[in-house]
Amino acid sequence: MDEILSVRGIGVNFGALRAVRDVSFEAQRGKITAVIGPNGAGKSSLFNLISGAIAPSTGQVFFEGGEVTGNSPDKMLRAGLSRSFQITNLFFELPVYENLRLAAQYLEQGRGWLRPVASSAQAEQRVQELIRQFTLHDKANELAGYLSHGEQRRLEIAVSLASRPRMLLLDEPTQGMSHADTRETETLIRNLATEHGLSILLVEHDVDLVMNLSDHVVVMHQGQKLAEGTPEQVRANPQVQAAYFGERQEKASC
Amino acid sequence: MPDPHISSPRGPSALRVFTYLFFFGALCFALLAKWMGDVFFLRLATEALIFGGLALSVDLLLGRVGLLPLGQALFFGLGAYVSALVLKEWSASFWLSMGITLCVCAIAGLIGGVIAIRAKGVYFALISFGLAQVISKIVFNTRELGASDGIIGVPAVAVVPGVDSGDPLGFFLVTLVIILGLYVGLRYLMETPMGRQLSAIRVNEHRVPFLGFDPWRFKLMAFVGAACIAGVSGALYPMLRGFVSPELMFFQVSGNAVINVIVGGTGTLIGPLYGSVLLTGLRSVVGSFTAHHQIVIGLLFVMVVILFPRGLVGYLAPLLQNRLNLPTRNRGEL
Repeated sequence: MDEILSVRGIGVNFGALRAVRDVSFEAQRGKITAVIGPNGAGKSSLFNLISGAIAPSTGQVFFEGGEVTGNSPDKMLRAGLSRSFQITNLFFELPVYENLRLAAQYLEQGRGWLRPVASSAQAEQRVQELIRQFTLHDKANELAGYLSHGEQRRLEIAVSLASRPRMLLLDEPTQGMSHADTRETETLIRNLATEHGLSILLVEHDVDLVMNLSDHVVVMHQGQKLAEGTPEQVRANPQVQAAYFGERQEKASC
Repeated sequence: MPDPHISSPRGPSALRVFTYLFFFGALCFALLAKWMGDVFFLRLATEALIFGGLALSVDLLLGRVGLLPLGQALFFGLGAYVSALVLKEWSASFWLSMGITLCVCAIAGLIGGVIAIRAKGVYFALISFGLAQVISKIVFNTRELGASDGIIGVPAVAVVPGVDSGDPLGFFLVTLVIILGLYVGLRYLMETPMGRQLSAIRVNEHRVPFLGFDPWRFKLMAFVGAACIAGVSGALYPMLRGFVSPELMFFQVSGNAVINVIVGGTGTLIGPLYGSVLLTGLRSVVGSFTAHHQIVIGLLFVMVVILFPRGLVGYLAPLLQNRLNLPTRNRGEL
């Protein structure tokens, strides 16, 4: 197996709260790995630890064999690891095109900073690709803040892809989406892995989507890893059923 | 190849019209002043342009990066002192004076930036204010720099053959060309990836690191650039007035620059030049009637903030845009 990301014994404390404790798992290249768990399980904190948004108290993160523990987010992106956000995090006062162009500027590798933006050919080409891939033609000149929620969520993914990362961390990409938008995003994520060979680490509340989409699932509970395996193995795990699916069934029966 | 449907719209914008009006108006004023043999208003207009340069540097930080500098007069005064010292003590060379000022202000901007950029929001404003207070008090108490009297007797200096700083019309035109150069340079910068990244920091700094860029470096570069612009503008002051004083570094100068920016239109770049001309003119005219002219300026500032929070140019530009049916701004251009 060709692992792209390895998380070893990672943890973080927020004062007395141990938000993430001794979590270890591997993500394989070109596969979709999902992290699931009930509210407060530590999924988003784990994401923030991996992407460099917060520094871990313990443990290590390895990306493509090199240690990246505690690296700042810009260094993580330069290493080839990009992320999206649970709460849409765009440049709302700027047009869709400019959101994409700002992100694609990374491809110029520091060249042409003081030349007109139009001369950044690689960035321009990448923006055009993303606009086509995400069918944003009609929205390119609109301010990102004026897009619908579903469109903003798609733009969030497009912005995260602009630098051509080798691994993408998606934090609840379908949050608040309609059923149709969710299915569309599911197809998009699957295509990114199967057609473009992108490695994806996904945090998602929609368990059905995770089970349909993922090659490997990590289950978090109260800041710790509860179980991991294929979707079938996780679904059949009695601990997971008790901690997670049981909770859902209880909610459904209420 | 770019998709033609999503290509960038080109054409004159309202801000460009305001720019042409400003510089064309300045040339017309110069011709009129020459015809009437005026000196006072030419000197006053030159001073307004010089303070316009300071306002441009504030607008780079406030309007483009979202940093409120309350001590930008530090670099303006530093430029004025360096220029005065070079001209008086070393060599009466305009270009040498400008070159040394630029280098000194770049180094000072780098040091000040490393200290101030660590903070955000109101803390940045207070650190920039504190730095200016410290340096101005040191200058105020340094006998070698003339202490509270400053440096007097700065000689007139030749700029180009036939034009020296003692010639009101010639020096007005020299200042106009320098301010035009600073303005065009900044306008160009805003259309480069560097300038767009600064706007991105202003809009959502938290997202920028996740695009692979360190916002701190960009903010530091903007801070150094703003220090250089303020310093170059300040360097012109002793050439115009023949003296410098510690008051040039005081908070009143920094505060007036912020007011010029907000009254003219934050983030428009041309607005601060209008604001500077308007308020320098008002200070002089109202000041000839009463010593309490700051009350009038203060009231005007409050009215503009309430009635036109985007400033005069910020308010008028969209109206002109619609009136003349001009194309909307370019993508990403603010």
